[in-house]
Amino acid sequence: MIGLLKGMATTMKHALDGETFTVEYPEEAPEVSPRFRGVHKFSQERCIWCRQCENVCPNDTIQIVTDKQRNGEQYNLHVGQCIYCRLCEEVCPVDAILLTENFEFTGDTKHDLVFNKEQLKNVPWYNDLDPLASREPDRGSWVGEGEGEVDYQ
Amino acid sequence: MATATPLPDTIQDILGIGGFAGELLSMLLGAALVGTIMLTMTAFAGPWAKRKITAAFTDRISVNRIGPMGLGTIIVDAVRLLSKELIIPEGADRPAYDIAPVVLAGSALLAFAVIPMGNGIHLADPETGLVFVFAIASIASLGLLMGGYASNNKYSLLGGLRAVAQNIAYEIPLVVTAASVVLFTGSLQMSEIVAAQTVELVTIAGIRIPAWFAFVNPFAFVLFMIANLAEVGRNPFDTPEAPTEIVGGYQTEYSSVYFVLFYLGEFVHIFLGGAIIATLFLGGPAGPFLPGFVWFTIKIWAVFLFTQWCRSAVPRVRIDQIIEIGWKGLLVLSFANLLLTAVILGVLGL
Amino acid sequence: MSTYEERNVEPPTTESGDVDGDAIEALLGDHVLDREEHLNADAYVVRADAVQDVLQTLKDDAGFDHLSCVTAEEHEDRFESIYHLKQYDDPTNEVSIVVPTSREEPVSESAAPVFRTADWHEREAYDLVGVQYDDHPNLERILLPDTWQGHPLGLDYNQDKPQIVTFEENKNPLEDHARGGEDSDTMFLNIGPHHPATHGVLHVETVLDGEQVADVNPDIGYLHRCEEQMAQKGTYRYQIMPYPDRWDYGPGGIINEWAYARAAEDLADIEVPEYAQVIRTMGSEMCRIACHLLATATFALDLYGDFTAIFMYGMRDREIVQNLLEDLTGQRMMFNYLRLGGVVWDIPEPRDEYFENVRDFLDDLPAKLDEYHDLITENEIFQSRCVDTGYLDPEVAKNYGVTGPVARGSGIDYDLRRDDSYGYYDELEWDVVTEDGGDNFARLLVRMREIEQSARIIEQCVDLLEDWPEDERNIQANVPRTLKPEAGKETYRAVEGAKGELGIYIRADGTEKPGRFKIRSPAFSNLSALKEMSTGEYIPDLVATLGSLDVILGEVDR
Repeated sequence: MIGLLKGMATTMKHALDGETFTVEYPEEAPEVSPRFRGVHKFSQERCIWCRQCENVCPNDTIQIVTDKQRNGEQYNLHVGQCIYCRLCEEVCPVDAILLTENFEFTGDTKHDLVFNKEQLKNVPWYNDLDPLASREPDRGSWVGEGEGEVDYQ
Repeated sequence: MATATPLPDTIQDILGIGGFAGELLSMLLGAALVGTIMLTMTAFAGPWAKRKITAAFTDRISVNRIGPMGLGTIIVDAVRLLSKELIIPEGADRPAYDIAPVVLAGSALLAFAVIPMGNGIHLADPETGLVFVFAIASIASLGLLMGGYASNNKYSLLGGLRAVAQNIAYEIPLVVTAASVVLFTGSLQMSEIVAAQTVELVTIAGIRIPAWFAFVNPFAFVLFMIANLAEVGRNPFDTPEAPTEIVGGYQTEYSSVYFVLFYLGEFVHIFLGGAIIATLFLGGPAGPFLPGFVWFTIKIWAVFLFTQWCRSAVPRVRIDQIIEIGWKGLLVLSFANLLLTAVILGVLGL
Repeated sequence: MSTYEERNVEPPTTESGDVDGDAIEALLGDHVLDREEHLNADAYVVRADAVQDVLQTLKDDAGFDHLSCVTAEEHEDRFESIYHLKQYDDPTNEVSIVVPTSREEPVSESAAPVFRTADWHEREAYDLVGVQYDDHPNLERILLPDTWQGHPLGLDYNQDKPQIVTFEENKNPLEDHARGGEDSDTMFLNIGPHHPATHGVLHVETVLDGEQVADVNPDIGYLHRCEEQMAQKGTYRYQIMPYPDRWDYGPGGIINEWAYARAAEDLADIEVPEYAQVIRTMGSEMCRIACHLLATATFALDLYGDFTAIFMYGMRDREIVQNLLEDLTGQRMMFNYLRLGGVVWDIPEPRDEYFENVRDFLDDLPAKLDEYHDLITENEIFQSRCVDTGYLDPEVAKNYGVTGPVARGSGIDYDLRRDDSYGYYDELEWDVVTEDGGDNFARLLVRMREIEQSARIIEQCVDLLEDWPEDERNIQANVPRTLKPEAGKETYRAVEGAKGELGIYIRADGTEKPGRFKIRSPAFSNLSALKEMSTGEYIPDLVATLGSLDVILGEVDR
């Protein structure tokens, strides 16, 4: 009986202390750690079209189209198919593809989640955080470079 | 204090219509009033209070988006549940399948007819009030069995069978414990039982403690609370539903309006349990300062809170253990209680 | 510790303590056709009709009482089944039995009569590779549907051929409705795959006698995601590592990654810097705590009902661990944190702040565990539900290849972190937790006590990492971008996952991708013992036992 009452007392203590551990999203944004891997951001200015990211991607999320002179034409990335392993960022020699801390993206159909290079460029930095600063501080990112209109859809 | 005039008579006096038509009309109006009161309470309890209470125990926030304190969720939930498709399983045994939810909800509501709620809200006061309450309340298990059997689902069947086994095991201790109260009052009439609790038990430091049977016979009170938990099927005795074992028990196959009826019926049943406890052990609508009906409501909500508290903190007992506790534990204890009460009362010559 | 009678048969060893290969060859006599060297152990090629003889001899006369895994694979000229044998008392004593069969007639003798665990493993081998086993009690598909055509890991399997199955061809799940005839007293009940308490998509075919369980048969495969094949299509260096996170998403991600890393590092001969080993050790113990908290919380859910507060308290505490892991790895469940030869990042800056967060968590942990004990283990009703239900005899457990907290709950003192040490575990002070009960309660206690031990390990790791000299913080060995281990190299390595022995078998074929990648999932073996624990008990006990096994279906089905 004592154990039973102990359990009841413990739950009542929790009920009365009024503390909650859930948060009211979206009014209260959850804390995202600086290393968090979210939606990608791509810089056409930096990309050298070496296709390392396309090759390393474990589930063919990245699709690159170049012309015969190896000039980049398309850079498509399916953020709904991506498993956010960050291997593309890891192998990129020029930091042209980065994973921001942004985790909020929506689409009405899965096709809406196929981002082309313009959409990828317009993914906003999350709270102006430099994603590389906490991951690999010796590689600088390009926060502030090439700001553009934000257009998720 | 509960007045001697039942509610229909009061209504008839106000309306001033005599004869059979007036009697019928005032009876219907009275029943509608009590039914509305109970269903309103249930509406608060089901979609809102239960969530808030559970959230408090589990350190969460819970419903707060619609309306003040999330109260609007009651309406939203009602619309949601009622607009869902009513899916009737293939091979369901109709009309048993359709009657079951009505039986469950109806039986619990019907029993409120004889409960004195204070401020004159008391539909009828037959001399066999207490027996009527238990008789009507146990029809609910018929509803559970019908629902479980008619759904043509094995989980439902198991749930229905569990419900019946459990109710039989706990109905007897419940009634026997109630009988020990009747020994004090010498009457089965609800108003008599309430009246018997208004006398003074002791006065401590100027505070007058009434002779509520919870104070007079705390042992019986505890027994009754436990048996009541089993009777209304709440933790640790919620085996008829037991979502983690038999999915949803008897209500597995019910959806939409039928589900709402089952859901309401369960809550009305919990409130009925609270009402019986309040009447038998907590002085009915008695209490200082506030009107009787408010006190009555507070008491049955306290019992409701207790069931929700158990839900958060007490593990479910296995079905064979429940039956064992019922037949070997509670039944023996309740008879011992009855016997002791009778002997003590006899010796004291009360 | 153990109360059961031990058969003290020790494998023949050489002076250096290794298993004596010649003695074993002599023991097996004529059955041996050839000897191979695997990186983890000697392998003996035996005749396909002598499997039972060989395994029985090894079990009885050489003490190899743990059939850890059965790997089947198809070569250009033959099928092979490899039985990875270990010893519960000392898992570094290993031996592999290779059973080749011809491609035309891939039939070999089943090991199921010797080791019960071979039952499920051989069914999987039959299902995915197509080897057939003589004398097998029930050689059916296990992961794929019965109507599947072809064996997907076979060489001539056509992936592009659509698997079109008409509705009628599928097995009717209610076919066994009246098992035992119309007059039978029993009732057939499908528990799952959509049931609130099966912890995922598990389907338990149950035969009930009243409310008592007369027979259970777990039906798995609903969450089969071709993990082995995906690993075979990925490169060693990068592409395999993200996937282990998805096996045990308890989240046991770092432990799972370590299982792969251990096998691959063995194969490619990579030395991991000590500093990285300490970080790995800390990370995987955090994962273990998170897994055990989840197991405790869901077990309480199974026993209390769906409104229990304990589940949320468990989630709340697991949330803290996940935040720590997020700060470290960048993700809450799918970490992809380990790399061959180390880890991808150092401790996040500012280091002091991170260590302080970890310490805060560890300081709060004892009070929280006390709260769990108040809520769960000291509760009399809870005890009456758990004590002496779901009993698993240690000998039976060994026969089923049961490992991890489930085995330790049956008094089997077996923990790879100590017995086959890897990482930094042998340098640290901690204890292997065992309980002798063998019931649901013992398994719960083992998990709760292991949380304490994991906290001890983390604390020591934090101390070590804090004092580590700044210029020696080497997080990754120098590993080339392309790894091509020599063709024919084979290894089987296991780590102690949150659920038990998580083993990886890799055969290199000379390319940058594995020739065969096999996952030995602990939950798979543990689940196969469910029948032994639940028969004769009530449905609520079956649900509780399932909860106490702590199966993650992602790991069972892979």
